[in-house]
Amino acid sequence: MARILVCLKQVPDSTVKVKVGPGGKVIATEGVTWSISPYDEYAVELALERKDADPSTVVSVVTVGPARSRDALRQALAMGCDDATLVNAPEDVPALDVAKALAAVVKELKPDLVLCGKQASDDDQGLVGPALAEVLGWPHVGMLTKAAPSGEAWELWREVEGGHEVWKATPPVVGMVHKSEKEPRYPSLPGIMKAKKKEIPEKDLSALGVSASSPKIEIVAMELPPQRGGGKVFKLDGDAKAVAEQVAKALHEEAKVL
Amino acid sequence: MKTVVVAERAKNGLRRVSLEIAAKAKSFGEVEVIAVKGDRYSPIAWSTAVAERAKDADLILAGATANGRDLAARVAAKLGRAYVADCTDLAAKDGALEAKRTMYAGKIRATVKVPLPAVATIRPGAWTLPADAMAPPVTDIDPGQDDPRLTFDRFEATATGGKRVSLGEARTIVSAGRGMKGPENWKIVEELADALGAAIGASRAVTDAGWRPNEEQVGQTGKTVTPDLYVALGISGAIQHLAGMTSSKVIVAVNKDADADIFKIADYGVVGDLFEFVPAFTEAVKKVKGQP
Repeated sequence: MARILVCLKQVPDSTVKVKVGPGGKVIATEGVTWSISPYDEYAVELALERKDADPSTVVSVVTVGPARSRDALRQALAMGCDDATLVNAPEDVPALDVAKALAAVVKELKPDLVLCGKQASDDDQGLVGPALAEVLGWPHVGMLTKAAPSGEAWELWREVEGGHEVWKATPPVVGMVHKSEKEPRYPSLPGIMKAKKKEIPEKDLSALGVSASSPKIEIVAMELPPQRGGGKVFKLDGDAKAVAEQVAKALHEEAKVL
Repeated sequence: MKTVVVAERAKNGLRRVSLEIAAKAKSFGEVEVIAVKGDRYSPIAWSTAVAERAKDADLILAGATANGRDLAARVAAKLGRAYVADCTDLAAKDGALEAKRTMYAGKIRATVKVPLPAVATIRPGAWTLPADAMAPPVTDIDPGQDDPRLTFDRFEATATGGKRVSLGEARTIVSAGRGMKGPENWKIVEELADALGAAIGASRAVTDAGWRPNEEQVGQTGKTVTPDLYVALGISGAIQHLAGMTSSKVIVAVNKDADADIFKIADYGVVGDLFEFVPAFTEAVKKVKGQP
């Protein structure tokens, strides 16, 4: 029986048009739909695919974050995960302390494989996974697209330029997921009903022996990318060659990128 | 300030991003450029060696490549230092660092303050390599002890991969989407990319459909890119795709739907059939570049 722990984070849904909030150092959260961060969702899917292949597999999820993160855990349970843990923490806990809190949960649950998304789609840092492996003293593999048992070991597929490196890991190991083979599954109706009834135990950072004291990066200012637009539009009506030559000439003479 | 640049080796010398960082880091003060010996990145052996070698540095820099980010994050954790990933700029300010970077998959640009000592990765192309830049002297260091619990088994090549310049470092990208109608039609994309000396990208729709390998995906859950020229062929412009390429210097979009969102951010838009336009454009590019 394999035990997999997926660490996830709740972030604004990828379809949300992110805006800068008051003060210019945070995003506006009013009306934002929150979801499991996309790479974490791939991690959940990868774990559940192992459970599909071997139903004795236990898949747990954990998050370190504010109370609203409970919804993301509930979503993971509805997708088919077995149990969930919420570590209560303010949003600005340094990533190294998040890793320490996760390590404390790992020590309780004793998983063979810990999966996280390669980065959360809010700060896009990608620090927690390697930091968790470091705190635990475990090896890690990044850019995972597949995790398959191979005897006593895990075969971990890591996407690199031109293909995949296949690594063999003796458990336990940490993997940072880039993609799952299949799209993350939608929660089923029975899954949603079952998830509603499940208890989600809460823990506090301090109870895990973690104080938010690691070096931290501070946001000084946020802005939207500059507005683009007002570009030249060419209509293609018959004379592709003439338009193609105009565009190439513009790239060469005006834009100077050719 | 003492800076250690962790360079990545390429076939002929260093990767371009390593050269970019080494050239820029000179303006920060004392710089040492190191590279770990060996062809295959191994997280524990490499991070142990780099952390040991660079532990007295105020700043450790690496390229924001897949390996660079993986290594730098673990080194930061090992040394208990502040870490900032995928910076588009970085400067010392008031005893700390001020970094520019994108967040929310490219939807936000942020300025962040990072306490020293720190570890940072820099996005390829963020620091332009001066034309007269000399290759820096590099100190090769031995990797640390490998962890017996993790061993490299084999390499599985992607059929289409590996022949071109990498997407993250490319100055020109030709990206194609659902408008290509099927994977059998990519020859015209390749010909255009060849004429431009470009990397090939793709929308999520076509990587999900299996028409193109995952590694070509541009946008949220793919790569965030900032080339000088981005050519989007048959891509409608979902918000997740736009976030990943909106900071390109010049954007050309070709789509038969005049209302496609991609046109809202394009500098040059061509409304029409890409199968007519692309081969003609390839010829026009060759003519401008003086290629036969």
